[in-house]
Formats: sequence, structure tokens, C-alpha cells
Amino acid sequence: MNILNVQELGKSFGKFEAVKGVSFSVEKGESFSLLGPNGAGKSTTINMITGLYPPTSGSIQITGVDVIKNPKQAQKSIGVVPQEIALYETLSARENLKFWGRMYDLSGNALEKVVDEVLEIIGLTDRAKDKVSTFSGGMKRRVNIGAAILHKPEVLIMDEPTVGIDPQSRNHILETVKRLNNEGMTIIYTSHYMEEVEYLCERIGIIDHGELIACGTLRELRESIGDRSRIIISLDNEGSHHLEISSLLEGLAVEKDILIKDKLLTVFHKEPQAILSELIQLVTKDGTKITSVEIVEPNLESVFLHLTGRSLRN
Amino acid sequence: MIMTSWWLAWKDLLIIIRDKKALLTLIAMPLLLIAILGSAFGDMMDGEEDVTIKKFTLGIVNLDQGQLGGVLSEEVFEKDLSDQMKVKYYQEEEMVEKIKDHKLDVGIVINEDFTASLMAGEQAHAKLISVPDPGIKATIVSSVIEQFAQTVPIEAMLANKALPVQGNASSEERSQNLLNETSIDANSNPVSSFQYYAAAMGVMFLLMTVVQGVSAMILEKEQVVFKRLLISNLTYINYLTGKMVGLILISLLQAFVIIIGTKLIFGVDWGDSISGVVIMTAAFVISACGLGVMAGSIIKTEKAFNAAGMLGTQIFAALGGSMVPLYIFPDWFVSVSKLLPNGLALQTYLDLMSGASFFEIIPAVLGSVGLGLLFFAIGLFRLSIERRGKYA
Repeated sequence: MNILNVQELGKSFGKFEAVKGVSFSVEKGESFSLLGPNGAGKSTTINMITGLYPPTSGSIQITGVDVIKNPKQAQKSIGVVPQEIALYETLSARENLKFWGRMYDLSGNALEKVVDEVLEIIGLTDRAKDKVSTFSGGMKRRVNIGAAILHKPEVLIMDEPTVGIDPQSRNHILETVKRLNNEGMTIIYTSHYMEEVEYLCERIGIIDHGELIACGTLRELRESIGDRSRIIISLDNEGSHHLEISSLLEGLAVEKDILIKDKLLTVFHKEPQAILSELIQLVTKDGTKITSVEIVEPNLESVFLHLTGRSLRN
Repeated sequence: MIMTSWWLAWKDLLIIIRDKKALLTLIAMPLLLIAILGSAFGDMMDGEEDVTIKKFTLGIVNLDQGQLGGVLSEEVFEKDLSDQMKVKYYQEEEMVEKIKDHKLDVGIVINEDFTASLMAGEQAHAKLISVPDPGIKATIVSSVIEQFAQTVPIEAMLANKALPVQGNASSEERSQNLLNETSIDANSNPVSSFQYYAAAMGVMFLLMTVVQGVSAMILEKEQVVFKRLLISNLTYINYLTGKMVGLILISLLQAFVIIIGTKLIFGVDWGDSISGVVIMTAAFVISACGLGVMAGSIIKTEKAFNAAGMLGTQIFAALGGSMVPLYIFPDWFVSVSKLLPNGLALQTYLDLMSGASFFEIIPAVLGSVGLGLLFFAIGLFRLSIERRGKYA
């Protein structure tokens, strides 16, 4: 059963088309990710799903409720973790959670109980009385998540919740999200960190320049590029030999599987070990020097690179 | 749903109370400034001007059907005493109102039978109306009338033997009975400088507090917490109501600290009507907060608001009488300044200090509350239009 249906969603700001006809659906209990580089249109899509921006075109339904027609009703079933910290710094963690709980009409013992539960989930029970301003970035992010799950939403929408935090806090957040998903909460997770997405999400939509360029499970996405590994060769100079190198490599790989950008030569191939020595010989034939060689197993970065010709983190 | 507004207001109050710097500005600064200004301009409104005889305005209601009322008004007061006073003619009710409002210190009503009675030696021909303890001005006027009563009939008889002389009262008796002196109770005491500046600075600081509160509101609107609020169960009307209630609570806290503080520390008399002071304070706070919330709904960035807010506060304070006493401005200016929430509040506080009762200030209270609600409605309308344009 689909808990979220997005159909032909579009959003323009003046002449700029931020989101172009995006369609996808998410099943109840699923964890779905929107993956894309900064500025790809992920946050705009999320803002439309949460009822903050009206779409220019298309439709959105959450738990069968039309978000455009009944945003308040639709919002009752979602929790949103924004990209920035949306908390009051001079209030304590407990005060913040109680405040946000009250914004969802929670009160009395029920509120106290759920705040205690959430503090336990985010691992901040012992710091509950401390002001948020005294917290590290990671701890703030945890409270930021806590504030979104107080009303036990059916769908938790997280917009890059781990930006700029230490690895320990990131792990804690990922574990928390995994736990919530295992308990039945539907997760919609946007990120440009492919390793997070690979760890958390069952299905992934890749978004770039406002368009959904691929959507499927990790396996399906890998298969879309033929499960090919990447051979990444760093060259000591850039530009001058690109055309020559491309023509030299024609026998080894098709043109669309060869990318040369700056000082990096990337070649997609199913059996990288088999062509590696020949590849190196061809590249160095005209005196070009190689500074490093790396073989990367097929992953989301490979998929994105193959589809867009750009790195996710550019 | 109403509770969400209350918790939003409570959160704002909690944040302000936690902010020691803001709290100090809220509480200590007004009291300090009132002390400084009250002391610095201490002689300005102490009634010291009554010691020296400055030219003053005399109100006259001349109902006399004979000639002597006109002679007294035009020849004696208007011409002979033109260096001491300026004469203005009124209807009786209008003149009484002017005296009540401290716009006129002394007035006389010359009765219909002034000439006839004076010539007949009868009693009570003119009524002197003044504020209690009007100083030397009333003495001058009453002396002139007494002198006139003693001399004019004799001169008239000598000049015109045709004038009938009735009765046999002596000129001394006539002068004693001539004036029926009335003092008006409504305005008990003139307002002292400390009283004036307590009210004026209090009103100004309340405006500044509202500006600070609205600045925080706009800052919140620019931040992601606002988006999170919009995604929650909070509606726009809940949001604006919560902001308004928060501002009202903070402003009321400050207002009563100023009123009680100036009363206890400086002995400022805010008038006999405690209920009047309380209700006017609440009404002013509603109007100022309504204005603030409206501005907060219209102005989009904190930076823009801070610049406009500070300038606006200064302009409002100046026009409303918080910087220069309203007494020195012409009547029309004083009336126009009542259109500003702070101008209306200050003048009502001054009325209360002068002895106005609770019932006398009800129009001002209703005006203030009405203004506040109107501003709030405009703010809500503005925000809902913005929502239709920007949000789903």
C-alpha cells in the first residue's frame, strides 16, 4: 500500500524550474531516499511534500490525503526533520521537546511520557535539562530529530539530517533512523551522502537538475549501469590529451563509459582487472604520467556519475 | 487549538525571562530614565509659573441682556487688561470642558440679569469657574469684577441719570455677593514632571518592547523554526494570536513594573482610579501589540524592521508627547496625537493623574482596544494573503 504518491510534481520560481515533473511513490513502512547533489531539487521536493510550498504542477497524496487541498490534515501524519536546526537554543532539550509536542496538541502525562521516550531514543536523557545552546552540533541534530517524532508520525521526512556533524553522532542518528524504520515508521530520507543512503534505504530516487533520473532498489540501480566497476586514474596534467586518450581507449570501452574531467580519467567496466594493464599502457603511451589508480566497486556514486557525468559531491 | 497559541506565547515569555540582558532593558532601563528625566525637568511643570503673572487666557460666557456684561468683557478684560490676559468667548459647556481639560485656567459666566441685578443691588450676577487652586489668575479676575461692581453702577448713574436705581444695598455688600465662585472637581492637581515623565517614558518603553518583540517574531519567521511551526498543528491565526498574547504578557509585565516601580520608588501618583490605570494599560498594550504584530506580518526581514522600528518608535514617541510635553503644543496637535496608540495612552494617563474617573476614560479604552484589534485583523489578513501566494 502506497503511503506517499507524487505525480508529475513541478515547481518554478519565476523562470527557474527547480523541480520538473517528478513522480514516485513510497510504500508503508518503506525507507526511501532522494539522492542528489546540492541544488538538485531535493529540498524543494520535500517542501512541497510537507505542504510548505504549493507545487506549480502535479499532485501529492500522503496517507490518501491531498496535500495541496488539505495541507493541515496531511501534515498530521508526517514528521519533518529539516536540514537546519529548528530548535530554540535558550530552552533545554526537554523544554524544546515539550514545546514541539504541544504544537501537536499533546499535553499532560501523555506529553511527559512521550518526551521521556524520545529523550531515550535520541540518547539525551542525561542532558535533558541542559540548554540546547550548550550542545554539540550532533546533539542538536538528535534533538532536531526528536522534535519530529513526538507525535508518532506515520511518515518521517528527513532532509539531510547529518550535514556537518561528527562521525559518532552520525552513526547514532543512522541507528536511530534504522530503529524507527524497523518499528514500522516510513522514512523519506534526502542526502548527498551515498553511503548513508545505501545503509538506510531500500529504494532510492536519484534527482539532478530538478529531474528524477533514476529510481529503484540499490541492486536495480547498479544493474542499470551494467554492474560495472570504475577504474579511476589520476593524471599529472589535464586537458591537452583528452581527445587523444578517448580515441585510444575506444577498443577497451564504449565512449559513454569513458569520462575525463580535470585530471581524472574514469572508465566503467565489468572486468576492470582484465583491462587495467592495457589501459595503463595506452594512457602512458604518449608520455602522460599516472599519479594513482583506483578500482571502485559499483555503487550509487558510480550510478550517479554514469547518469550525469558528474560526481555527487560536486 | 487555542492552547497551541498559549504555549507559543508561553515559549516567547520563557525566552525573554531567560535573557538577562533583555530583562534588564525591560525593567531597569525605564525606571532609570524616568528618574533622570523627572529630576532633570523637575521645575518644568511644578506649577511654579503661578508665582509670576504671565499672560493667560480668560474664558467668558456673556449672557447679559444689558450693557454692563459687554462693558466688563470688552472694555475691561479685553482692552484694558490686554497685557495680562487674552479673552476668548465660549458657550458655557464648552468653557467648562476646556477648564476640565486644563486648557483654560479661569472662566466667567456673566448672567442674563447681570446689568439689571447690578443696578438693583441684587446678588450673584457672575460665576467664576476655575480649577481648584488656580493661583493668582482667579484672584485677578475676581478682583477686577469686584472693582467693576463697586464703581461702574456709580459711574453709570453719574453719566446717565436716566438709569433707574433700585434697591438699597451698599456697594460693599454688592461686591461680596456678586461672584458665585465655582471650582471644578474633575481635574484635581496639575501633573508634576515626575508624573508626566513616568507616563511618557513608560509609554515609550512599552513601544520599544513591542518593537523588540516584533523583531524577534520576524527573525523567527526568517528561520527554519517557523517552517517547523507551520508544519505542526499550528494555524496562521493560532500563530498570530500566540505572538500577540506573548507580546501582551511581556508588555504588561513591563508596564506594571514601571507603574508600581515609579509609585514605590519615586512616589509618582498615577491617580485615584486604580482600575482606570489597569484597564488603560491593558488597552494600550493591546493597541501597541496589535500595531506591532501588523508590522511583523508586513515586514519580511529583521534587518529592515530594526531600522524602521527604531525610527518609527522615535517618531511615535515624539508625536505622542513622550519627548516634549504636550502642553506646549497647540490644541489641534494634541487632538491629532490621540490617533497614535501611545499619544492616546499618554493623554489618558495624564487625565487619570489629574483625577479622571474610570468611566471618563472608557472612550479612550475602547478606542485603544478597537485600534489594536483592527491592526491585528490587518496583520492576519496580510499573513493569509502571503500564505496563499507562497504556501500550500
